Amino acid sequence: MSSMLPLPSFDLKRPESVDAATRAMADNEHARLIAGGTDLLPSMKYGIFNDPVLVSTRRIAGFADITETDGGGLRIGAGATLRNVRRHPLVAERYPALVDACATIATPTIQAMGTIGGNVMLDTRCIWYNQSTFWRGALSGCLKCEGTLCHVAPKGTGCYAAHSADSVPVLTLLDARAELVSVRGARQVPLSELYDVDGRTWIMKERDELLTAILLPPAPDARIHHRKLRARGAIDYPLLLTAVRLDRGEGGVTGGRVIVSAVGPKPIEVEGVSELLAAGERERAAEVAYKQIFPLATHTWSSTWRKKMIRVEVRRALEAIS
Amino acid sequence: MPVVGKPGAKIDGLEKITGSAKFTDDFTLPGMLHGAFLRSPHAHATILSIDTSAAEATPGVHAVMLGVDLPKKYGVIPVAQDETALAIEKVRYVGEPIACVAAIDRATALTAARKIVVEYEQLEPILSIEDALDKSKPLIHEPSNPLRRKRASNCLRRVFQRYGDSKAGFEDADIVLEEDYDYPGSTHVPLETQTALAHYEGGKLTLWSSTQIPHYLHRILSKVLGMRTQDVRVIKPHVGAGYGGKSDPFCNEFCSAKLAQMTGRPVKIIMDREEVFYAHRGRHRTKMRLKMGIKRDGTITACDFKAWAEGGAYASYGVVTAYYFGVFLPLPYKLDHWQFESMRLYTNHPPCGPKRGHGAIQPRFALEMHLDKLARAIDMDPAELRRMNAVEPNTETSNGLRITSVALEECLDKVMEASGWKEKLGKLPPNRGIGLAASAYMCGALHPIYQTEMPHSAVQILADRSGRVAIYAGTADIGQGSNNMLAAFVADRLGIETTDCIVMEADTAFTPVDLGSYSSRVTFFAGNAAVNGAEKLREMIIAAAAAKLDCSPASLELDGGEVFHTKDAEKRLTFPQALVLAEEKFGTLSVVGHYKPPKIGNRFKRQSVGPSPAYSFTAQVAEVEVDPETGFVTIERIWCAHDCGKAINPTIVEGQIEGSVYMGVGEAMLEEHVFQKGALHRNPSLLEYKIPTVHDTPDIVSIIVESNDKEGPMGAKEAGEGPQLATVPAIANAIHDACGVWLNEAPFTPDKVLKALERKARADRKAAK
Amino acid sequence: MGQHKVQGRHSKTDPMPSELILSLNVNGDARRVLADANRSLLDLLRDDLGLTGSKHGCDVGDCGACTVLVDGEPRLSCITLAADADGCAVTTIEGIADAGRPHPVQTAFDDQVAAQCGYCTPGFVVALKQLFDENPAASDGEIRDVLGSNICRCTGYTKILAAAFQARDQLNGGDTSQGDE
Repeated sequence: MSSMLPLPSFDLKRPESVDAATRAMADNEHARLIAGGTDLLPSMKYGIFNDPVLVSTRRIAGFADITETDGGGLRIGAGATLRNVRRHPLVAERYPALVDACATIATPTIQAMGTIGGNVMLDTRCIWYNQSTFWRGALSGCLKCEGTLCHVAPKGTGCYAAHSADSVPVLTLLDARAELVSVRGARQVPLSELYDVDGRTWIMKERDELLTAILLPPAPDARIHHRKLRARGAIDYPLLLTAVRLDRGEGGVTGGRVIVSAVGPKPIEVEGVSELLAAGERERAAEVAYKQIFPLATHTWSSTWRKKMIRVEVRRALEAIS
Repeated sequence: MPVVGKPGAKIDGLEKITGSAKFTDDFTLPGMLHGAFLRSPHAHATILSIDTSAAEATPGVHAVMLGVDLPKKYGVIPVAQDETALAIEKVRYVGEPIACVAAIDRATALTAARKIVVEYEQLEPILSIEDALDKSKPLIHEPSNPLRRKRASNCLRRVFQRYGDSKAGFEDADIVLEEDYDYPGSTHVPLETQTALAHYEGGKLTLWSSTQIPHYLHRILSKVLGMRTQDVRVIKPHVGAGYGGKSDPFCNEFCSAKLAQMTGRPVKIIMDREEVFYAHRGRHRTKMRLKMGIKRDGTITACDFKAWAEGGAYASYGVVTAYYFGVFLPLPYKLDHWQFESMRLYTNHPPCGPKRGHGAIQPRFALEMHLDKLARAIDMDPAELRRMNAVEPNTETSNGLRITSVALEECLDKVMEASGWKEKLGKLPPNRGIGLAASAYMCGALHPIYQTEMPHSAVQILADRSGRVAIYAGTADIGQGSNNMLAAFVADRLGIETTDCIVMEADTAFTPVDLGSYSSRVTFFAGNAAVNGAEKLREMIIAAAAAKLDCSPASLELDGGEVFHTKDAEKRLTFPQALVLAEEKFGTLSVVGHYKPPKIGNRFKRQSVGPSPAYSFTAQVAEVEVDPETGFVTIERIWCAHDCGKAINPTIVEGQIEGSVYMGVGEAMLEEHVFQKGALHRNPSLLEYKIPTVHDTPDIVSIIVESNDKEGPMGAKEAGEGPQLATVPAIANAIHDACGVWLNEAPFTPDKVLKALERKARADRKAAK
Repeated sequence: MGQHKVQGRHSKTDPMPSELILSLNVNGDARRVLADANRSLLDLLRDDLGLTGSKHGCDVGDCGACTVLVDGEPRLSCITLAADADGCAVTTIEGIADAGRPHPVQTAFDDQVAAQCGYCTPGFVVALKQLFDENPAASDGEIRDVLGSNICRCTGYTKILAAAFQARDQLNGGDTSQGDE
């Protein structure tokens, strides 16, 4: 067979219910979930993942449903494609920033394949990690995969692979929660608490937990804006992600939040900017963000430049909704 | 209605659009095995031992081969044969292939290859120009003759040429400017990776391969395999582009052939995308020092140019590249006093080779920016500076290049008008700018890669009573449209449609030799061969028809599928009727047209690189907008006026202009062939080696200019490479017009632009105090 | 450095990857295929069904040369498991023409000479056909958006855009719509 880059061998489970899926994950200690596969399959071709069992979510009934919840919130099934999230009338009407965020992911074709759940669970990325078996082997691996050294920060002990999920900053500003289900039961976690500071263990979930839905509360009385910085106009993962929120209340803007991502293993919510935002101090807020965040050389483009861009992007995001 | 000059569909377009066109990986042969390589993880190391036993024992593996199985050295340039099919005794770059496994499928071959155990002793790698110039560092290639060891170095070729007296020229100048420039390495990224399929039976080898050079491949493959060329057949199916990246023979071609011999089974070897970055043969990263002098009236008085190029681990075309760095300096501007020195250096990186514009892109970048700087120093419109120094038709450059047709002035006029040059230069809103550059390029290297007095290209035309016209040519259509070009010339001379012709190309068993698709030679050389052959057939058809119609041959015309008397409407035949008559009169119809370039440019000893039977000319304007806070540069539009001699099919010529400009945009803005820890390719994927998407590509306005070269086939010259030369400097000049910074180093990524703006702001603040 | 020829042999004790029997409709024809779970749809189409029009440009989803339609939706077949097309209708470049009559996108590509080397062409044609199936009056901007899914190295996209606009205009009854950017 001619395959250019073959996938490793695996057993494919195709459960038709959440129950069956969680049981498959619990029963196989070396099982991994696959949804759209747009990130997992390339990584498997690169030899980064080698699990002998894949549990597909594709046939789970209702997994892609997007439904309104009591009180006017939204339940987005983890299996909903990014394209369907982007096009859903309730998303466009109530959470337009989420439409914008999804529209910048990769390419339209990949948006038709990839799922919102897959994006929320997206593996962290690094130029030293997202490479083939041969390439990584030439360096004896890295701290995140098959090695003991982080090439980005050789003197450190942690992994700095960058969070790269375009939908997460906006979802976090919308106070989204992740619904996680396993054989032990279900739980909900605010997205702001889902991620970890180390690029290796970036998601605080058990191996066998399945993300089944993103739960959005009713749209807040706020304006939210999302900006993605990338090298080209399509395909590329983010060099920098900026999402800002300005809350509206009596007399105008009452406060806000700023999240910057693609700068480390977890998205960073900038501290101490709410009052500045209420006062309309966009440049000072951008400066605060700049001072708090230190991107490392996980990307092909300069981390020094990416840091400078924090100032520019935060300010521009705020200008867009002021 | 003449065929030549008509726009529209090409003869082999539809099959590509329906998916029926077969590329090398689309073929399957019974019992076919698949090959995969084991590659070196080290940049520079001695191979101490190789243990293939675990690979051989893997179920599904049929054979494992090593370097010693094909020990004969080769090199595409005869004076620099320093490569073997697989590494022997030493590895010289990360990714160099060491072993090849043939198995029932690629997954098995890859798994088995990884089981091969290699013991290395690492050597200090040469990772920069400075390393390569340092005589205390290890040699990448040890001379076979130990007596040569003392004088050996990591410099493959140093060229020094001097014309006139540049020292006096600088003294004559009113302004002299000397600056350093740095042009990055880049690679071709054809959508189709290198693929080869070998079939060996009865002592005869057939190799299908995605190649630009079927003829050179045929010769080199035969030599390395130790087979007679008559027993080797190379076939080029549809090729998914090359841009110079498939002008070398590659490991997968040698190894599929050898493994086919060893196993008795057909063997297919495709390179995956990462492997193509290791095969490389791309543009040399080149550091340059350029010194030019001009008078206040704009006359260029002198030029000194130095170039140091990182060549990677093997020679490839590097010897020739070293010449290309300098020999086109007096084109397209008159230059009588100049000299250049270039050094093509070995480094422990994937080998560099020819990429569109081969060796002329880097100096053009430096020169066109330099001229803009000088223009501003004398307060002259940069377009005028080009115009007043432009070479004239039917002259000879100071280094003996014969110039025939030149329409550079018309290119400048048209591109200035189309872009609104005069209204925009220096007058656009802040951070918006416009820039111009001009260039010239050869239409085929006069001298082939191996010395020969035989034709460089030939076309055989068979026509018969069925009405069909078959064109056999050794040319390699790699998407540039050479099949259509041949059909267009033949159809034009015979008064039929291109769709009445069928082209069979690039099968060394059946097609006459053409040297290959490189140095922009195919239209000029093969086109002349096609016209030459078609004229012979036309004469025979006219003679037969004249006899039948009882009129003089001079009164007959061929057009619209008919042969007819220009003044007597009654006297007419259909083309197939005329063919029958010709076949009756002359017997089975077969003509061969061939072409060998004229003997020119031998005024200087060893002037083997540079002379060409004609040169194309280009003038290009780019309009950009710079975001001063981020450094992002948006190219709004690029106008390119290109003197291609004669546009055989204007749609295809536009496509070549657009593709060339696109590749220039990639090199200007995004593409970098760079290394982690000095030796490991940072971004060997289509995700991280960034070639422009539709969103990153500006509107490109193609303007065809025709100078009707008297030696070109019906006036045609070239369009496949020339237009790229002016792109990057036009963008650089536009960036300067927009925001006042000169970027002597490409690509112009936002971090570089921003740093330059910050430096300028600091300098402005200092000057203000 | 010894080496010797070895005949391949599948050992009965080797673990077999999970095998599936897939039922697909490919370009209008019902097919049943035995495939390993780890087989990509691209390899299944090319090797098992002989539909070589879809290409391996990179095999990791970075270029779009492998684009096919699955139940009318665009897919990068190199990173689609064949198993995920089970029970689905698959359309490849070979199924775009209607009984030998080229689709307007294909005619436009030919007219505009939007295919130079032709390797990226099937992916573009399939992606554009899908766009126009959903939205025959797609604006210039919507067309550009979809084209961002595919890489071309030869054309600079100029004639691909021209072909897309020509096809769009033809599908809209021949009037030259003023598409917005």
